[in-house]
Amino acid sequence: MSQTEKFESPAQYKAVRLVWVLVAVTAVVSLLYAIQYYLGGPIRLAVVSQFDSIAVNPSGTLLAAGAQDGGVRVWEVPETLNTVGGGDFDVAQETPWPVRRLEGHTAPVIALAFTPDGAALLSVGSDGEVRRWADAQEPGEVLLTVGEPILQAAFDAGRTRLAVMGQDHVVQVWDVTTGQQLRTFGPTAGGRAVALSDDGTLVAAGDGVDVQVWEVESGQPVQRMVGYCEDQTYTTADACEDAEENWLGHVKEVTALAFSPDGQILVSGSEDTTIVFWDVGTAEALWSSAGHWAAVNSLTFHPDGKRVLSTGADNAVKTLRVPGGKSTATFVGTLAPVNDGLFGPQDGFISTVSNDGTMRVWETTNQYEIHLEWSQYGFQPTWGHTIAAWMLVSGLLGLVCLWGLRQGRLWSHLLTLLVFLVGPIVMLGLPFFEVLIYPLTLGVKLQIAWPILVLAGWYVILLIALTREPVALYYEAPLDAPLAEQLQASQRTLKLRFGIYSFAVWVFLLVLLFSVLRRFHLDVAFMGHYFGFIMKGAWTTLYISALSIALAIVLALLGALGRLSKNPIASGISGFYVSLIRGTPLLVQIFIWYLGLPQLGILLKAEVAGILALGVNYGAYMTEIFRAGIQAIGKGQHEAAYALGMSASQTFRRIVLPQAFRIVIPPIGNEFIAMMKDSSLVYVMGVWELTFRANKIGRQNFRAMETFIIAAAFYWILTVIFQLLQGKLEEYMARGERR
Amino acid sequence: MTEPIIKVKGLHKYFGPLHVIRGVDLEVMPGEVVVIIGPSGGGKSTFLRCLNFLETPSAGIIEIDGIRIDAQEPISRHRKKIRQIRRRVGMVFQQFNLFPHMTALQNIIEAPVTVKGMKKEEAIAKAEELLSWVGLSEKRDEYPSRLSGGQQQRVAIARALAMEPKIMLFDEPTSALDPELIGEVVDVMERLANEGMTMVVVTHELHFARDVSDRVILMSDGVWAEEGPPDELFTNPKEERTRQFLAHIL
Repeated sequence: MSQTEKFESPAQYKAVRLVWVLVAVTAVVSLLYAIQYYLGGPIRLAVVSQFDSIAVNPSGTLLAAGAQDGGVRVWEVPETLNTVGGGDFDVAQETPWPVRRLEGHTAPVIALAFTPDGAALLSVGSDGEVRRWADAQEPGEVLLTVGEPILQAAFDAGRTRLAVMGQDHVVQVWDVTTGQQLRTFGPTAGGRAVALSDDGTLVAAGDGVDVQVWEVESGQPVQRMVGYCEDQTYTTADACEDAEENWLGHVKEVTALAFSPDGQILVSGSEDTTIVFWDVGTAEALWSSAGHWAAVNSLTFHPDGKRVLSTGADNAVKTLRVPGGKSTATFVGTLAPVNDGLFGPQDGFISTVSNDGTMRVWETTNQYEIHLEWSQYGFQPTWGHTIAAWMLVSGLLGLVCLWGLRQGRLWSHLLTLLVFLVGPIVMLGLPFFEVLIYPLTLGVKLQIAWPILVLAGWYVILLIALTREPVALYYEAPLDAPLAEQLQASQRTLKLRFGIYSFAVWVFLLVLLFSVLRRFHLDVAFMGHYFGFIMKGAWTTLYISALSIALAIVLALLGALGRLSKNPIASGISGFYVSLIRGTPLLVQIFIWYLGLPQLGILLKAEVAGILALGVNYGAYMTEIFRAGIQAIGKGQHEAAYALGMSASQTFRRIVLPQAFRIVIPPIGNEFIAMMKDSSLVYVMGVWELTFRANKIGRQNFRAMETFIIAAAFYWILTVIFQLLQGKLEEYMARGERR
Repeated sequence: MTEPIIKVKGLHKYFGPLHVIRGVDLEVMPGEVVVIIGPSGGGKSTFLRCLNFLETPSAGIIEIDGIRIDAQEPISRHRKKIRQIRRRVGMVFQQFNLFPHMTALQNIIEAPVTVKGMKKEEAIAKAEELLSWVGLSEKRDEYPSRLSGGQQQRVAIARALAMEPKIMLFDEPTSALDPELIGEVVDVMERLANEGMTMVVVTHELHFARDVSDRVILMSDGVWAEEGPPDELFTNPKEERTRQFLAHIL
């Protein structure tokens, strides 16, 4: 049998063959890219290199940052720095500073320091190699090799001693000038933090949730900082918290440490997000500070000993005051965890480096970002992995599709559509929109994003070829099938295709919405931290809505009976109820319930008052719905029941009400959905539902946008879930109607 | 001598100013089948509905199976009596009026269970018997919307019979049916008549009137225009009005 026999015309054959070729090329190229990516091949998307460490020379003319790719970037800082930020100021338009790269390390550079005279830059790789760069210029020389992969490293002020925390949690202290190992301590019970006092005599390291301090000369432990409760009758952090007392210390691994310049104070930061200041002499916790929402990545004392800079995995940078430990400023705008920071390059500025591949300089008065340098232009590293994974998955799926397409299978036509329509929207849309929010000029953004645009164009061509009419006909209505079957098949696929397209539109709009929200500089770590707290409100919202709607249904039924009643008293009461409640705003009613009932000596819990207010309000609106539902039941039904000898009440209960219910279910569902959102109004009573929780946390932390977005997401999710349930319920109620 | 089971004397019915029934008398003996025919708007259905008080008569006396109601007295005094009458009188409607939220079986057992307080198992057994009698055993669990008009009407008849009435009223039972479905309903009615049920039937189905009924009444303008055995009335009508009507429909 020849190839063309199954086709209506040579033109159709050509169109279908084009799809085969396009899918084959796409799948094979995708797979090749993925394979070479995972084997460490040369072709990959440009991604930034994360920065792990930063240093400034004593005169403030050079800033150096160590990147994951092993290269150290050294920037020449202009003599005068811009101090105007915000408003019209655009970081993206700033001229880049002159930069040079110091190559030599083969592992991420995790610590950097200039010698006190500024003559040399010292760098520490995570593989344990320590290099010295005279004048911060190439070539560098290897000073020593620790011989162990290391997690963190710290110098003393004179840059003569170096303390490192190995991956085996053994702390080593080295003499940098001689290249000799002085001491080893540990292993500790975990924790990556290590610090040396400025005079190099004391070394501190995280020991699980505690901090251990040793004297370098004697090798003896001198102090151990252990957390304790302010009220010392409580011995565990949990008990302490339950008693609402302050726990002074950490409950999770210590992640950052720093000595004050005089060596009297040790500050520690932890995975548990807290920062604690300890008196080195007494091991007493002086102050504790809870400003970050995720792990504290680094801590740095100002040389005057009166300020501390902390950077966190919550993308935020903070300055803390000593004494007291209170946060004095927060610097936000970084797109990823901030790994290191320092006071400088000049007075009134700080500089930070982050996983987002940027080095940022901020002025401290108004916390404006005034300069930004990239390790290199590119996507966030996550997107590199994501796109490679997409290439692998879509390549494999593409081969499956190709196999099916060659067989002339209908499912493969639809699967191909699904894979190459929805997949790219998510996998290319998310990184593309993220690049758009980078603080860069449009030209540079396009320079980064061009591979995505090219790919998108390719997919568009593929989709156009796939959806052309001869191709669609070939797959939807095989020639050899009977006509009825052909028509059915094409009906089905039209429906399915409609489904795929509208699903794709939903996905696209979600991606767009997500990207727009990212533009608001949302504090994602903060959202993660309070997600659970706000989520508890979803349950409250749900049960308040459910109980309110139950109350409303009862009231509405009574109200409807009253309105339909021939009894003037019943009719009057229900008419008055409906008129009064529908004539006044819900919020006002809520206040009256809340403020008025106590005046009558009736003290209700806020939840109960809220349910009453909502139930009574919606009962009035639903009275009309029920009345219409009851009236919609034909006279014939009443007559049939009466003719069988049923009484009026039996007729109503057994015949009219069940049918009326079926009619009112859809409008009641709508009312319930509306109520779920209106239930947010009871937050004024202090009911701990979604809105209340969002408002409370948002206001406390000046992050209302973040918390309300979480609340909105929950309202949406609840609504979507309920709509699905409503559909099922309607299907069930309509069982007598089925044709 | 047996007493008539239905006695109507001087029945009048007004709808507002409209005088629909202008004083009719009727006596029906047990087991008798009476068919009322006549032009539409003549008051046939209204008369039938007065018999079980779905319409409240304006004047006159109705006595059914010994329960006597004088329409002159306020109707609220007769609530109990009316329900007693309704339990003795079954009715079948032009539009079937099955309960759409119940299956055929549930439709049938509804009244015996809620009104008579019959046990559910007993009611179901009885209902199944009735369903098989009307020839719809296999439709017991179908909802009315899944049944044809003729099937629905047969279920409606079974539903009325489930209350074990002494009298059955049929209000144009075949008028809403497609012609080919009329036969199955008429067939059931015929069998019912043959089993000795007292029936008052309003219909345009002249075959039924001629073959099954004991007496035919022509109602026109709210009064009996002519009354007599079917053979006589159809073949040799006395009144001009009757001739006119028969000429129209034959």
